[in-house]
Amino acid sequence: MSSNFWLLLVPVPTLAAFMTLAFGPFWLGPSQVRAVALAGAWLTAALMLAASGVCASGTCHLLAPVFTVKVGTASVALALILDPLATVVGTTVAIVGGFVISYSLGYMARARLADLRRFFAYMNLFLGAMLTMVMAGDSINFFLGWEMMGLCSFFLIGYNMSLPRAFAAGRKAFVITRFGDVLLLAGLLLLFYEAGGVRIDALVNAALVMPPGRRSVVAVLLLGGALAKSAQLPFHTWLPVAMAGPTPVSALLHSATMVAAGAFLLARFAPLFAATPEVLAAVAMVGAFSSCFGALVAVFQTDVKRMLAYSSISQIGFMIISIGVGAPQVAIAHFVIHAIFKSLLFLSAGDMAYAAGGRTDIAALAGSSTRRPIAYFSFAAGAASLAGLPLITAGWWSKEAILASAVSAGPLGEILWSLALIAVALTATYATRAVLVGAGPSTLLARPPAVPPAGIATNAPLVLLAAASLAGGLLVGPIVRFLGAAEPDTPAFSAIVGAAAVLLGVSAAFALRRHPHLASRIARARKVRQGFRIDAVYQQRFVRPFRHLAYWLNGVRRGGRSSGIVDPLGAVPVLGIVWLVRRMIHWAAVDRVDRVWMRLAGMVPELSSFSRRSQTGRVRDYALSLIFGIAALLLLALKSPRLPWH
Amino acid sequence: MTDQSLAMLLVLATTLFAVGLFGVLVRRGVLLQLIALEVLLAGPALAFIAAGARRGDAQGQAMFVILLVFAAAEVAIGLALYLRLRRCADVSDSDSVSQLRS
Repeated sequence: MSSNFWLLLVPVPTLAAFMTLAFGPFWLGPSQVRAVALAGAWLTAALMLAASGVCASGTCHLLAPVFTVKVGTASVALALILDPLATVVGTTVAIVGGFVISYSLGYMARARLADLRRFFAYMNLFLGAMLTMVMAGDSINFFLGWEMMGLCSFFLIGYNMSLPRAFAAGRKAFVITRFGDVLLLAGLLLLFYEAGGVRIDALVNAALVMPPGRRSVVAVLLLGGALAKSAQLPFHTWLPVAMAGPTPVSALLHSATMVAAGAFLLARFAPLFAATPEVLAAVAMVGAFSSCFGALVAVFQTDVKRMLAYSSISQIGFMIISIGVGAPQVAIAHFVIHAIFKSLLFLSAGDMAYAAGGRTDIAALAGSSTRRPIAYFSFAAGAASLAGLPLITAGWWSKEAILASAVSAGPLGEILWSLALIAVALTATYATRAVLVGAGPSTLLARPPAVPPAGIATNAPLVLLAAASLAGGLLVGPIVRFLGAAEPDTPAFSAIVGAAAVLLGVSAAFALRRHPHLASRIARARKVRQGFRIDAVYQQRFVRPFRHLAYWLNGVRRGGRSSGIVDPLGAVPVLGIVWLVRRMIHWAAVDRVDRVWMRLAGMVPELSSFSRRSQTGRVRDYALSLIFGIAALLLLALKSPRLPWH
Repeated sequence: MTDQSLAMLLVLATTLFAVGLFGVLVRRGVLLQLIALEVLLAGPALAFIAAGARRGDAQGQAMFVILLVFAAAEVAIGLALYLRLRRCADVSDSDSVSQLRS
């Protein structure tokens, strides 16, 4: 047991809460369920804060081995590590997770007891999985946490089991992220093959000495995993439909866990990507396009949760840009700020939608400033941070750092910078638009049912997160320095142009408010609102052919048509097994010994009927056989040597 | 007694036994079979006496007495059976009493 054993305890409270809630063979009342969930989340947050305290005090490369297995020449050494990256991300995850679970206490108050238990169990597992992944010192723990998060997101998105839409959304998220998981697994296995170990530092070092071609393959595979998890451009379709889950789930999924995992993966393997400039350029371009795409589609949304979902695609795109230009530290700083304001936006939007009778369209937000002032003003603070209002919001500082790192990254950087500027302006537009709608008078035709006022469990996280999303800009510089990079010096013109883009976006939102015909044109642009119908194209190109293939292979008759074959792939092994049974099992099933005995038994009736013939019933015959018997005995006696007369 | 006279007597005894056996096997009348049985028993009895006289031993004559007792018992049972057969089924043919056969 090493002196760093306490490090292994950090994810334990959440996992223990999951075990208690999911598998505890005892009845728990609603308050007990809440207490267990809350204790799991906040104990972990406290441990993580203690860990970050240790890390900040100097020694920040701790390693706590779990166990080590030697397999041939390979060494499988599982461990948790605490380095600056894990500290920053882990602390953010733990605190945001704690806030989200506290908020859920109020939000999920009306859920049935069994559903409540299920919900909090998965939330805790989700949190624990993310922390395990963040602190993983080896690829196995990393992948376990990664997969566990995918599983939890499936369960949580499909939480509302009576809603087929929710279940389909969960399945979609699971299948698409699973596609990325396969790529990630392939990349990690290639690295393992190369390094003969699973420690991440060993994997990165092995990757640096690989031949460049193979290194690029590994980098592309890892990138594929990250893009699917982070819902970046080719794989983004699962995120908007994932809104079918409850709001706290979205808050956790979009801010600190799940979608941020892809960015974290890229940051974790940053040295590997730094050695493959062509993949790095692709990373940056994917990020830039995703951020523009997400921001553009978000402007056209009518549902606040969908708007925030596209906003997540866009904001993760910013992180990917900054990783692509070789500044993962800035990306992590933006991750922290984004986790704060995005969870805040989801939580406050959830509260406002709850007050508006459960409607989540943007129009229903109107009047929220009077219905739910705390939620509305914290939403405004979050939106300001999302828009990046200059100087006074945290979002501006992290976004400026990203723009600065992009503009100082050569010729490609300037293209990225201009794309990012477009995204910044659009972000300001949609963020401001939602806030302006909320400030207006209520347009609800029917008065929503009276809902109880939000309690302390709802309001405290909102207020604290709002304060952090305004003042968190002070953290950006220290985080970047803490992660071991020099803070990018922002060129004056980049800062001015960035601020101008934000103000332009904000004024565009005001213009939309002033001119309703523009807004109505936006509301009619259904194609853009549906994300350029990429989802439908995927459905047509991939999902339906695949489904047809599956049906065809199964020989299922659909619409009167049948393939005429019943599962040729599946049938071959079955037929082979049947043949083997016929050849071997049947041969062995014949019992030769038994057959001999059966034949003997079959002879008994014949023998008895034969011997019965001797029983004539006549005295003379018996006398004759008697005489023969006596004669035989006498002959025997004459021959026998042991009788006395010899 | 010489060995030769003993041999002659044993031959006579064997002949008596063979004649008696022949009678038992060939005749079907129950009464005649009983008589043949008496003749048959006389053979061994003669052999016992001859052997006892040859060895100067009284055991041969003792065996003859035992044989007489056997023969008396046998005849008593046989005649009783014969009487029962005559009275119940009015048969004297031993072959016709084969009901014990399965």
